[in-house]
Amino acid sequence: MKFVLSVIFALLPLAIAAEDVAVIRANWLTDLLMLIGSFFILAAGIGVLRFPDFYTRLHASTKLVTLGGLGIFIAAAVAFIPNAATERLLLIAAFFFLTGPLSGYMIARSGYLRGLPLYKEEGSADEWEAQGEGLEQFEKDNASSDD
Amino acid sequence: MIVNIALACLALAITVAVYRVLKGPSWGDRIMAFDFLTVNLAVLVVVLAVRTEITVLLDVALLVSILGFLSTVALARYLLRGRVFK
Repeated sequence: MKFVLSVIFALLPLAIAAEDVAVIRANWLTDLLMLIGSFFILAAGIGVLRFPDFYTRLHASTKLVTLGGLGIFIAAAVAFIPNAATERLLLIAAFFFLTGPLSGYMIARSGYLRGLPLYKEEGSADEWEAQGEGLEQFEKDNASSDD
Repeated sequence: MIVNIALACLALAITVAVYRVLKGPSWGDRIMAFDFLTVNLAVLVVVLAVRTEITVLLDVALLVSILGFLSTVALARYLLRGRVFK
Protein backbone atom coordinates (compact mmCIF):
# COMPACT_ATOMS: atom_id res chain seq x y z
CA MET A 1 0.00 0.00 0.00
CA LYS A 2 2.77 2.39 0.96
CA PHE A 3 4.73 1.44 -2.15
CA VAL A 4 1.75 2.07 -4.40
CA LEU A 5 1.18 5.47 -2.82
CA SER A 6 4.82 6.44 -3.23
CA VAL A 7 4.75 5.43 -6.90
CA ILE A 8 1.58 7.49 -7.46
CA PHE A 9 3.08 10.56 -5.82
CA ALA A 10 6.31 10.13 -7.79
CA LEU A 11 4.38 9.96 -11.08
CA LEU A 12 2.01 12.85 -10.26
CA PRO A 13 4.15 15.63 -11.82
CA LEU A 14 4.26 13.69 -15.09
CA ALA A 15 0.48 13.49 -15.24
CA ILE A 16 0.10 17.24 -15.10
CA ALA A 17 1.02 18.58 -18.50
CA ALA A 18 3.09 21.70 -18.88
CA GLU A 19 0.23 23.77 -20.29
CA ASP A 20 -1.98 22.93 -17.31
CA VAL A 21 0.21 24.85 -14.87
CA ALA A 22 -0.83 28.47 -14.92
CA VAL A 23 1.06 31.60 -14.01
CA ILE A 24 -1.13 33.89 -11.94
CA ARG A 25 -0.16 37.46 -11.25
CA ALA A 26 -1.44 39.48 -8.35
CA ASN A 27 -4.70 41.13 -9.29
CA TRP A 28 -6.76 43.52 -7.20
CA LEU A 29 -10.08 42.34 -8.65
CA THR A 30 -9.30 38.73 -7.70
CA ASP A 31 -8.35 39.79 -4.18
CA LEU A 32 -11.52 41.84 -3.69
CA LEU A 33 -13.90 39.16 -5.03
CA MET A 34 -12.21 36.41 -3.06
CA LEU A 35 -12.40 38.46 0.14
CA ILE A 36 -16.14 39.05 -0.39
CA GLY A 37 -16.73 35.36 -1.10
CA SER A 38 -14.81 34.17 1.94
CA PHE A 39 -16.71 36.66 4.12
CA PHE A 40 -20.03 35.21 2.96
CA ILE A 41 -18.81 31.64 3.52
CA LEU A 42 -17.65 32.51 7.04
CA ALA A 43 -21.06 34.08 7.72
CA ALA A 44 -22.71 30.88 6.50
CA GLY A 45 -20.58 28.85 8.90
CA ILE A 46 -21.54 31.07 11.83
CA GLY A 47 -25.20 30.80 10.82
CA VAL A 48 -25.07 27.01 10.62
CA LEU A 49 -23.45 26.89 14.04
CA ARG A 50 -25.69 29.38 15.84
CA PHE A 51 -29.23 29.41 14.44
CA PRO A 52 -31.92 27.74 16.57
CA ASP A 53 -33.84 25.76 13.98
CA PHE A 54 -33.44 23.39 11.04
CA TYR A 55 -35.10 25.77 8.58
CA THR A 56 -33.10 28.84 9.60
CA ARG A 57 -29.86 26.86 9.40
CA LEU A 58 -30.89 25.67 5.93
CA HIS A 59 -31.59 29.27 4.92
CA ALA A 60 -28.14 30.39 6.08
CA SER A 61 -26.21 27.57 4.44
CA THR A 62 -28.00 27.50 1.08
CA LYS A 63 -28.24 31.18 0.23
CA LEU A 64 -24.97 32.43 1.67
CA VAL A 65 -22.88 29.63 0.22
CA THR A 66 -24.41 30.16 -3.22
CA LEU A 67 -23.46 33.86 -3.10
CA GLY A 68 -20.00 33.31 -1.60
CA GLY A 69 -19.16 30.48 -3.97
CA LEU A 70 -20.20 32.64 -6.91
CA GLY A 71 -17.81 35.37 -5.70
CA ILE A 72 -14.92 32.94 -5.35
CA PHE A 73 -15.62 31.37 -8.75
CA ILE A 74 -15.64 34.75 -10.49
CA ALA A 75 -12.41 35.64 -8.65
CA ALA A 76 -10.76 32.46 -9.92
CA ALA A 77 -12.12 33.13 -13.42
CA VAL A 78 -10.48 36.57 -13.38
CA ALA A 79 -7.25 35.01 -12.11
CA PHE A 80 -7.23 32.33 -14.82
CA ILE A 81 -7.92 34.65 -17.77
CA PRO A 82 -4.47 34.19 -19.46
CA ASN A 83 -4.80 30.38 -19.29
CA ALA A 84 -8.14 29.79 -21.07
CA ALA A 85 -9.70 28.16 -17.99
CA THR A 86 -12.34 30.85 -17.56
CA GLU A 87 -15.13 29.05 -19.40
CA ARG A 88 -14.78 25.98 -17.17
CA LEU A 89 -15.11 28.20 -14.10
CA LEU A 90 -18.16 29.95 -15.53
CA LEU A 91 -19.67 26.50 -16.16
CA ILE A 92 -19.10 25.55 -12.51
CA ALA A 93 -20.61 28.88 -11.40
CA ALA A 94 -23.71 28.36 -13.54
CA PHE A 95 -24.11 24.82 -12.19
CA PHE A 96 -23.81 26.14 -8.64
CA PHE A 97 -26.33 28.88 -9.25
CA LEU A 98 -28.82 26.36 -10.65
CA THR A 99 -28.42 23.50 -8.17
CA GLY A 100 -27.88 25.27 -4.86
CA PRO A 101 -31.44 26.63 -4.39
CA LEU A 102 -32.89 23.42 -5.87
CA SER A 103 -31.23 21.15 -3.30
CA GLY A 104 -32.17 23.56 -0.50
CA TYR A 105 -35.80 23.49 -1.65
CA MET A 106 -35.86 19.69 -1.73
CA ILE A 107 -34.37 19.38 1.78
CA ALA A 108 -36.79 21.95 3.23
CA ARG A 109 -39.80 20.30 1.55
CA SER A 110 -38.96 16.79 2.76
CA GLY A 111 -38.23 18.10 6.25
CA TYR A 112 -41.52 20.01 6.43
CA LEU A 113 -43.64 17.18 5.05
CA ARG A 114 -42.05 14.67 7.44
CA GLY A 115 -42.83 16.98 10.34
CA LEU A 116 -39.63 18.47 11.65
CA PRO A 117 -40.41 20.99 14.41
CA LEU A 118 -40.44 24.72 13.69
CA TYR A 119 -38.91 27.42 15.84
CA LYS A 120 -41.78 29.64 17.00
CA GLU A 121 -41.86 32.90 18.87
CA GLU A 122 -44.32 35.76 19.31
CA GLY A 123 -46.14 36.59 16.09
CA SER A 124 -44.75 33.81 13.89
CA ALA A 125 -47.16 32.05 11.54
CA ASP A 126 -47.11 28.87 9.47
CA GLU A 127 -48.76 29.79 6.18
CA TRP A 128 -48.36 26.41 4.59
CA GLU A 129 -50.16 24.68 7.43
CA ALA A 130 -52.94 27.29 7.28
CA GLN A 131 -53.56 26.29 3.66
CA GLY A 132 -53.96 22.67 4.72
CA GLU A 133 -51.14 21.31 2.60
CA GLY A 134 -49.53 18.92 5.04
CA LEU A 135 -48.42 15.34 4.69
CA GLU A 136 -51.95 14.00 4.12
CA GLN A 137 -52.42 16.13 1.03
CA PHE A 138 -49.01 15.06 -0.24
CA GLU A 139 -49.75 11.37 0.25
CA LYS A 140 -53.13 11.75 -1.45
CA ASP A 141 -51.53 13.44 -4.44
CA ASN A 142 -48.72 10.93 -4.50
CA ALA A 143 -50.89 7.81 -4.34
CA SER A 144 -52.51 8.39 -7.72
CA SER A 145 -49.41 9.41 -9.66
CA ASP A 146 -46.75 6.95 -10.72
CA ASP A 147 -43.89 9.36 -10.12
CA MET B 1 -2.31 36.24 1.24
CA ILE B 2 -6.00 36.68 0.39
CA VAL B 3 -6.04 33.07 -0.79
CA ASN B 4 -4.86 31.98 2.67
CA ILE B 5 -7.68 33.98 4.30
CA ALA B 6 -10.18 32.25 2.01
CA LEU B 7 -8.70 28.86 2.92
CA ALA B 8 -9.05 29.67 6.63
CA CYS B 9 -12.71 30.68 6.22
CA LEU B 10 -13.41 27.48 4.27
CA ALA B 11 -11.70 25.39 6.93
CA LEU B 12 -13.86 26.96 9.65
CA ALA B 13 -17.03 26.40 7.62
CA ILE B 14 -16.10 22.74 6.95
CA THR B 15 -15.41 22.21 10.67
CA VAL B 16 -18.87 23.60 11.50
CA ALA B 17 -20.43 21.33 8.86
CA VAL B 18 -18.73 18.23 10.29
CA TYR B 19 -19.92 19.24 13.76
CA ARG B 20 -23.50 19.52 12.47
CA VAL B 21 -23.27 16.15 10.70
CA LEU B 22 -22.10 14.42 13.87
CA LYS B 23 -24.21 16.31 16.42
CA GLY B 24 -27.25 17.56 14.50
CA PRO B 25 -30.44 17.14 16.56
CA SER B 26 -32.53 15.79 13.68
CA TRP B 27 -31.91 14.02 10.38
CA GLY B 28 -32.74 17.20 8.47
CA ASP B 29 -29.79 18.92 10.09
CA ARG B 30 -27.55 16.09 8.98
CA ILE B 31 -28.67 16.28 5.34
CA MET B 32 -28.38 20.08 5.38
CA ALA B 33 -24.87 19.90 6.84
CA PHE B 34 -23.87 17.28 4.28
CA ASP B 35 -25.03 19.57 1.46
CA PHE B 36 -23.11 22.45 3.05
CA LEU B 37 -20.02 20.23 3.32
CA THR B 38 -19.99 19.17 -0.34
CA VAL B 39 -20.57 22.72 -1.59
CA ASN B 40 -17.70 23.93 0.60
CA LEU B 41 -15.47 21.15 -0.72
CA ALA B 42 -16.10 22.26 -4.31
CA VAL B 43 -15.24 25.87 -3.42
CA LEU B 44 -12.15 24.64 -1.54
CA VAL B 45 -10.88 22.78 -4.61
CA VAL B 46 -11.26 25.96 -6.70
CA VAL B 47 -9.29 27.99 -4.13
CA LEU B 48 -6.60 25.30 -4.12
CA ALA B 49 -6.47 25.53 -7.92
CA VAL B 50 -5.81 29.26 -7.63
CA ARG B 51 -3.17 28.70 -4.97
CA THR B 52 -1.25 25.83 -6.55
CA GLU B 53 -1.79 27.14 -10.13
CA ILE B 54 -2.90 23.76 -11.49
CA THR B 55 -5.91 24.10 -13.80
CA VAL B 56 -6.74 20.37 -13.79
CA LEU B 57 -8.29 20.86 -10.34
CA LEU B 58 -11.19 22.78 -11.91
CA ASP B 59 -12.50 19.51 -13.40
CA VAL B 60 -12.28 18.01 -9.92
CA ALA B 61 -14.40 20.89 -8.58
CA LEU B 62 -17.09 20.32 -11.22
CA LEU B 63 -17.17 16.60 -10.42
CA VAL B 64 -17.40 17.18 -6.66
CA SER B 65 -20.28 19.63 -7.06
CA ILE B 66 -22.20 17.24 -9.36
CA LEU B 67 -21.74 14.30 -6.96
CA GLY B 68 -22.76 16.41 -3.96
CA PHE B 69 -25.93 17.64 -5.64
CA LEU B 70 -26.96 14.14 -6.74
CA SER B 71 -26.37 12.62 -3.31
CA THR B 72 -28.27 15.43 -1.59
CA VAL B 73 -31.26 14.97 -3.91
CA ALA B 74 -31.17 11.20 -3.40
CA LEU B 75 -31.09 11.53 0.41
CA ALA B 76 -33.92 14.08 0.53
CA ARG B 77 -36.07 12.04 -1.85
CA TYR B 78 -35.44 8.83 0.07
CA LEU B 79 -36.41 10.38 3.39
CA LEU B 80 -39.54 11.94 1.87
CA ARG B 81 -40.93 8.98 -0.07
CA GLY B 82 -39.18 5.91 1.32
CA ARG B 83 -37.55 5.10 -2.02
CA VAL B 84 -35.19 6.81 -4.45
CA PHE B 85 -36.41 5.39 -7.75
CA LYS B 86 -39.75 3.99 -8.77
